[in-house]
Amino acid sequence: MIVADSKPFHEIEQMLSEFKKVYIVGCGSCVTICHTGGEKQVAELAAKIRLTAKLKGKSIEVIEDSILRQCEWEFIEEVKNVVEDCDAVLSLACGIGVQYMAERFPNVRVFPGVNTTFMGGPTEQGVFWERCAGCGNCIIGTTGGLCPVSRCAKSLLNGPCGGSQNGKCEVSQETPCVWNQIYDQLDTQQLLSTMENIVPPKDWRTGAENHPRKMVLEHLVMKK
Amino acid sequence: MIMNNPNTKTDTYSCEEAPCVMACPIRQDARDYVQLIARGLFKEAFRLVRERNVLPSSCGRICTHPCETKCRRNDTDAPIAIAWLKRFLGDNYSEKVGVNPNQKYPEKIAIIGAGPAGLAAANDLALMGYSCTIFESNPTPGGMLRMGVPTYRLPRTAIDKEVEFIRQMGVEIKYNTALGKDVTFDSLKKEGYAAIFIGVGLLDSRDLNIEGANYDGVLKGISFLREVNSTGTAKIGKNVLVIGGGAVAMDCARTALRLKPEKVSVACLESRKEMPTTDFEIEETIHEGVALYNSVGPKRILGENGKVTGLETLKVKYVFDEQKRFNPAFYENSEVVIEADTIILAIGQTSNLFFLKNQEGLQVSRGGTIIVDPNTFVTSIPGIYAGGDIVLGRGTMTESMAHGKKAAISIHNALRSEKRKDEKWGDKPEVPKLADTRVPLIKKEQKQDMPMLSLGERLNSFDEVELGFSPEVAVREAQRCMNCGAGAVVDENLCVGCITCVRVCPFDVPEFRRGETTAFIGGDCQSCGLCIVECPAKAIRFKTPLEDRGIERLKSLFADTSTKNTKPVIVNFFCQYSSFRDNSESNAIIDKHVKRIGILGLGKVDPSLYLNALEWGADGVLITACKDDECHFCAEYEWIKKRSEYVGKILNELGMDSRIFQTHFISSQTDTTFLDIATQMVKDIENLK
Repeated sequence: MIVADSKPFHEIEQMLSEFKKVYIVGCGSCVTICHTGGEKQVAELAAKIRLTAKLKGKSIEVIEDSILRQCEWEFIEEVKNVVEDCDAVLSLACGIGVQYMAERFPNVRVFPGVNTTFMGGPTEQGVFWERCAGCGNCIIGTTGGLCPVSRCAKSLLNGPCGGSQNGKCEVSQETPCVWNQIYDQLDTQQLLSTMENIVPPKDWRTGAENHPRKMVLEHLVMKK
Repeated sequence: MIMNNPNTKTDTYSCEEAPCVMACPIRQDARDYVQLIARGLFKEAFRLVRERNVLPSSCGRICTHPCETKCRRNDTDAPIAIAWLKRFLGDNYSEKVGVNPNQKYPEKIAIIGAGPAGLAAANDLALMGYSCTIFESNPTPGGMLRMGVPTYRLPRTAIDKEVEFIRQMGVEIKYNTALGKDVTFDSLKKEGYAAIFIGVGLLDSRDLNIEGANYDGVLKGISFLREVNSTGTAKIGKNVLVIGGGAVAMDCARTALRLKPEKVSVACLESRKEMPTTDFEIEETIHEGVALYNSVGPKRILGENGKVTGLETLKVKYVFDEQKRFNPAFYENSEVVIEADTIILAIGQTSNLFFLKNQEGLQVSRGGTIIVDPNTFVTSIPGIYAGGDIVLGRGTMTESMAHGKKAAISIHNALRSEKRKDEKWGDKPEVPKLADTRVPLIKKEQKQDMPMLSLGERLNSFDEVELGFSPEVAVREAQRCMNCGAGAVVDENLCVGCITCVRVCPFDVPEFRRGETTAFIGGDCQSCGLCIVECPAKAIRFKTPLEDRGIERLKSLFADTSTKNTKPVIVNFFCQYSSFRDNSESNAIIDKHVKRIGILGLGKVDPSLYLNALEWGADGVLITACKDDECHFCAEYEWIKKRSEYVGKILNELGMDSRIFQTHFISSQTDTTFLDIATQMVKDIENLK
């Protein structure tokens, strides 16, 4: 899933400072699951915005809502009336949802309420780790099911590097060295010898180097 | 119903019913009134009880409480004292039940007998809008409650108070008026009664057809009780033996004890385990000094000069045969004599059908009970209904009330050609048995004892033995309730399948059942509310409308202008699990400045609500929670601590002074510790200004 972090509140406050009626809209998928953009967060953020306004002697009307997925035209169409009745939209969706809202409602200012950070998942309640970099050319079949592109600080394809210490990455002591983990996993699977194969440089053109990327499923495309 | 917006009441509230409710013949909302008591909402609890029960005070004393037998708390420690809690309400609260003056039907209904069945029928019919007259052969109301039940178990003031409320609803009671003597079916019809409900009960004791039953000194249990209950005494000898093992036998024995003979014994066919009364009654009977002879059958009554001298008994082989039918068998040559100069027969009750004399057409069973349609309670004569013991043969007070209530609906339906139904009696699945793995996760909590009259005081009078719960004991007992079937429920339309509920539940209740994409929370939910707060999609809520998680109360607090005009105002969210003390402390500062919102476990409170409090006008928020090792749910301390820190950070971010938001973990929400903390906080905030 896509993980997003709450934006610092002073940033949000600044973005909304000139508006009187704001629509705060959560997204019912990834950002709900990572506890930064669901119904609950919408309610909390709305309370913070109103409380701040009160402290500053301002008045602001906040409309709270959440929709199933902001990255679908059909779903955001449902909130058209309420959006167009507001001065601004604060979207708690990932960057994708924010852009959908902005594109669909060009006459309304749309702001992001979260910083979209990475693709990952919860490893325990409240803890999320990056697990995929969207490189467009997956190699984890050869690395014991662990992605060195997203989980190694250097995205090394032939690791570990000299900075691997006691199973941890030199960049941060709380980050496990994924190449150390790959070694252990291949050892368990009696595939250690495969580590001797030197992986040639990866074709990065399938990944983030090639913005914007597009996927077309010809068999599903409907004639207009 | 009381707290939540009715719009949020989910349909699922009624999908699985608590076993205590299902076990009750009148489907009393046991769980919900217990839950209201747990919140200290005694008036609301009483109102809820009275909705279905015309005799709460009496019922709370003498009901055989099948609700407690089925209480799921049996699996963790001991059942909730549901009946004693009802008695607490009935004794301490009362309220005139309003009859809608605009809803009046022209028909008059005659009710024969002012016992539980008749009173229940009259109450419900009066509520529906009918004029009811009860014809009672005795000079006082209550039926067998007054004639049969001893005063040390049921003081007459309790009956009188409850009957007075029924009378105030417009129900007329004509005393000293017996059916078959003073009125007849025909005379009632001529007087314009559109329907008759017979709830006369079983007036006689069953006979024991053995040798010697005619000796002087052989008494019938019901007559004996009736005599003592009407006159305060009865003629007995020095050595009394009661035959029978049921509730009436225990009543006879304990009543006889109070007449001060030298010895009172009870002999019954059943073994101690088989005796058809509650263990508590048997214990109390023995405790008061009655000797109990189990597994003995009466062979003959011995006598001299026409007077009883004893009972010859046989040892019982078995009471019930292989088909579990009552069919006692005895060992041969096992004769033993129990000496006695008075024998009281309490081996069951039987009907006295004198009221049918010269009134043809009412079909009666071989056992002397009136035959009715089991659904409509109509007898073989259209327009004449019957219920209670005269139909049951042998029933309980609540079963009789249930008959009265059901017959009332049936009479209405017949008169109005309607198909009204009481949904409470519908078939619903029960909340299943508590999972074995769950039991160790639930905190054991001591059942509250009933305060009792001392043994010496008991035997010197007919004063009530069980003294009743104080409010603090009642609350403490009610707080043991697990709120079965009314806990958290997942809205499948909102759940995003994030698994948060599964991870945060201290009781491992939420689950993803195979093939399902949304979480499911079963009947074992303990209602701690942690999942409701943590769910990022706000997809979980309580089924019970009795729990507002503080939201509605906070709203109404700030809708009140007196709150708005007070400065400073501190809202105190406190855990009600540690607020049961009666000697609640307070002072002028707290009374004025601290608005208290009690919640059964602060784990239910969304941290956003603390922000809302400040937003709506509070100058400070004070959270007083239980200490870690005192938590009812065993797991909330960490959560409350974390959430408080989180809110503290937010307020810091907003540039607010940290003193306006405080969290304290204390043992009692009502003692001086709380007083000191709250007083200090008021001062802190005043100094900020």
